[in-house]
Amino acid sequence: MEVTLLLESTDNAFRVMERAREHAVGLLDTAVQFTAEQTRFRQEKRGQLLFTGTQKRKTQFQNIVGTTIILLAFWMLLSGKFDAFHLTLGVICCALTAYLFHDLLFANVRVGDMRVIAARFIAYIPWLIEQIILANIHVASLVLRRKMPIDPQIVKFKTKLETDISCVTLANSITLTPGTITMDIKDGVFYVHALSQKVANELNAGDMEDRVAHIFMEADHLYVEDVLDAARIYQTLRT
Amino acid sequence: MIQESDDVIVKAVARLLVPFIVVYALYVVMHGHYSPGGGFQGGVILAASFVLLGVSHGLEKTRRRMSEKAARVVSSIGVLLYGGIGALCLILGGNYLDYAKLGKILRVTPAEARSLGILGVEIGVALAVMAVMCTVFFAIFTAEESPEDYRSVE
Amino acid sequence: MTQFFVIIGVGMCVLVLLCLYRATFGPTILNRAAGISAIGTKTLIILLLMGVIYDRIDMFIDISMVYALLNFIGTVVLAKYLERSGEV
Repeated sequence: MEVTLLLESTDNAFRVMERAREHAVGLLDTAVQFTAEQTRFRQEKRGQLLFTGTQKRKTQFQNIVGTTIILLAFWMLLSGKFDAFHLTLGVICCALTAYLFHDLLFANVRVGDMRVIAARFIAYIPWLIEQIILANIHVASLVLRRKMPIDPQIVKFKTKLETDISCVTLANSITLTPGTITMDIKDGVFYVHALSQKVANELNAGDMEDRVAHIFMEADHLYVEDVLDAARIYQTLRT
Repeated sequence: MIQESDDVIVKAVARLLVPFIVVYALYVVMHGHYSPGGGFQGGVILAASFVLLGVSHGLEKTRRRMSEKAARVVSSIGVLLYGGIGALCLILGGNYLDYAKLGKILRVTPAEARSLGILGVEIGVALAVMAVMCTVFFAIFTAEESPEDYRSVE
Repeated sequence: MTQFFVIIGVGMCVLVLLCLYRATFGPTILNRAAGISAIGTKTLIILLLMGVIYDRIDMFIDISMVYALLNFIGTVVLAKYLERSGEV
């Protein structure tokens, strides 16, 4: 009787010890794993910080240099004096301004395609001037008639433009053409006041939007989408 | 307290315009003796750039570039520059703001000394005017904050 | 040629008077703001015409640029003030 009790108790003791050992091993394992993870995480984070830091410093330097060059061109255009004293003053002033305001001029710009954007923008201006002259004649003919057949309305359309600068270009182009005024942009929806039905129809055709999207290289993938949308083509063919 | 504007157009246009306004103001200051303008006008245009930034991008981002403390320091520096150049002429044996006497230190002819002296005085005036205008702008646009907020800014 | 520019300038002054009417008697404050903004634009053109007439266009361009700038900033600040005070 006593022997069996003894055996049982030793057995129990062994089992408890076994469980304790298992617990301890598990705890040690998790601790090792945790520390390893921690160090890995910390290392990764430090690498990331280093990387973004250098990236940030590099882009900051690029921004400062680019802003300085643009502002120096503006300064020379204003000054018109090219002796050493005034050029030195200009370089100092432009560098100071670029250092203070380096994050303003180049926010939200994809680096690398600036030259293409500038060339396309210059090519866009003659078309805009032609559009302005045509709209001027239209509005003058509307207003100078005795009955004044205006039909004021607010046109609301969703734009496909993504960056703020392209939205602003489109909004200012719309405001520059007589007869239409951009009132507000909210979450990519334009609210435009149009003077007559013809102007509103031209606005809804979206020619100007396509051209602005072309300037800022946002058109390329969207054109493909438009072509693949067969239902829309079918509808336009039917009507 | 002005919050950041939620209007895309005003924000983007202000963002693109502010560096050019600052360079234009510096041009007005530096070419004050050739073309219209000078220290006061240039300082006002400089302050206008900060006002535009404050109205479009909120007061917080403007404070990061020009805080109330910095405005106070800069205005003092401007007045010091103006009075210092005048007093320097006085020490060198001329009248107050008699720039021709500065030629002795700068080792240039009196005519060039006059040009440089006027430039220095104009820079001082521009700094003082810009800082005081910024202070007025901050004071007006933070007037409706509670006194606790204002003290924390101080 | 000078006479041509003078005539254009006088015509601009007449247009300024029309805008001044809107700025003075405008029913709402937005009418006044738009009228003042239009007056600023026309003043800019009159300044440039004066520069051409007096043959000092390089100086008048500087002045007109400042005028355009302050006009823009003034309009933006006025709009911000109206937005904040809740009058519109």
